[in-house]
Amino acid sequence: MTGQRRIEDVLRESTPQVLAALVRRYGQFDACEDAVQEALLAAMVQWPGEGVPERPRSWLLTVASRSLVDAWRIDGARRRRETAAALDPAGRAPAADLAVDVAVGLAGSGRDDTLALLFLCCHPALSPPSQLALTLRAVGGLTTAQIAAAFLVPEATIAKRIVRAKQRIRDAGARFELPAQPQRTPRLGVVLQVLYLIFNEGYTASSGPVLQRTDLIAEAIRLARLLHRLLPDEAEVAGLLALMLLTDARRAARTDPDGRIVPLADQQRDLWDVAAIAEGQAILTRTLGAGPVGPYQLQAAIAALHDEAPAAAATDWPQILALYDVLATVAPGPVVTLSRAVAVAHVHGPRAGLALLGTLDADERMAHTHRLEAVRAHLLEQAGDPAAARGCYLRAAKTTASLPEQRYLELRAARLHHRTCLPTRKAD
Amino acid sequence: MKYMIMMFGGLGAAAQNRSPEWIAGMHELLMKLDTELKESGECVASEALADPGQAKTVRFAGGAPVQTDGPFAEVKESLAGFWIVDVDEERAIQIVSQVVGYTEYPMEVRRIMDHSAQL
Repeated sequence: MTGQRRIEDVLRESTPQVLAALVRRYGQFDACEDAVQEALLAAMVQWPGEGVPERPRSWLLTVASRSLVDAWRIDGARRRRETAAALDPAGRAPAADLAVDVAVGLAGSGRDDTLALLFLCCHPALSPPSQLALTLRAVGGLTTAQIAAAFLVPEATIAKRIVRAKQRIRDAGARFELPAQPQRTPRLGVVLQVLYLIFNEGYTASSGPVLQRTDLIAEAIRLARLLHRLLPDEAEVAGLLALMLLTDARRAARTDPDGRIVPLADQQRDLWDVAAIAEGQAILTRTLGAGPVGPYQLQAAIAALHDEAPAAAATDWPQILALYDVLATVAPGPVVTLSRAVAVAHVHGPRAGLALLGTLDADERMAHTHRLEAVRAHLLEQAGDPAAARGCYLRAAKTTASLPEQRYLELRAARLHHRTCLPTRKAD
Repeated sequence: MKYMIMMFGGLGAAAQNRSPEWIAGMHELLMKLDTELKESGECVASEALADPGQAKTVRFAGGAPVQTDGPFAEVKESLAGFWIVDVDEERAIQIVSQVVGYTEYPMEVRRIMDHSAQL
């Protein structure tokens, strides 16, 4: 591992702990976050030459605390009073206090602090893009530039998004603490959703010609592992981590060397990541049966069934359908119906799957995505109706905003057209 | 000098009735060209646009802006995508000819206005 990589890894891991310690001590999440960014920048400048300090988190916390105090000093009289009160009512020199603060800060910070930070970044008052950006920054330790590159937006856009997110947190009066029940369960649901969105953004890149962005995928899995370590008894957290691992396991086979989409049925399964599949299965086995089953666990179980099949023809579709039936009652929705229709088609024939798709035609939520038409096209092709299938493929191709998907659908349409239009040879 | 190179037509405009192999070849040509132009530094920006069927057009009618579904131009003449290249006109035409030679469908080259004044 290169020196630079090691520094980056240490910084990424330290960020949430240092930030959490600072916020716990001084409040003012937005100012603390700024101070941590300053400390990270200082580390990136100094550590390559001086080496990583023996206690990197203490180093960062010291620098960040100083930066915070300086910022308050510059800010004027009101801040000075706040600072004095925060640091020491007896008015000792801030520098002396800092050493104590650092020790206390780090001693106090632990799993609860990082968790509280995660909950704060995923506060419901924030929009999902803000939740994602803030989580990646404050908990993931990514720089603004890295986040911008991951989402293919200008750095200034992400910078503004984070500034506004921090303001919203302040205005919403959000507290740096673990939410108590009954809020905790839904709040945890939001955290899981944010992590899933990060994963999904990386896995099926929603814009741009490249189909996956591995940096985001890796970050989502890393944060999910962190959350699983912090909350080992939460089944849905384990379920989400398993789902990510079992889905990402197929990544290498998902596109061909030219970046073209390869559907699941056609993938080279020897390219799948066996270790990731094993890990996902192990996590899943430990959680299933430990309590009421949630949607992430169910989706993970379905992914596990796909990953277990040595070939597409060996897939246990009846079992997959049974799981979709459960998912449809636990977390109903048009996307579940769509996926369930595929399973129905495999078990009861394409016409049965098409009938289920028909129930989605009136659903507004499906109106602006290409997915319904794409699935319908596949099933019509299987049902032996190439003309109708072609029409659906073209409709889907015209509504998708993903260039690789558009090209894939265009090709599938062309294959059908060519088959139905080729004149039959006269016997010689 | 900068030029915009424009491709036209909704899905199927150039590819209507073509074999899947021909279409796959077209995708490959466009991807390869895009990579080449980016690697040579000639490409400033390039984007593919969503199908013209996805466009919305706002016209002024009855004294107010009115939105309708669909593109401004005919679907077969609607912008499908563009490259902005930093080259001279001869090179721009050469680039475009590579594509037209395969697709047999028209493309346009247009100079991008300078922001400086030329005395």
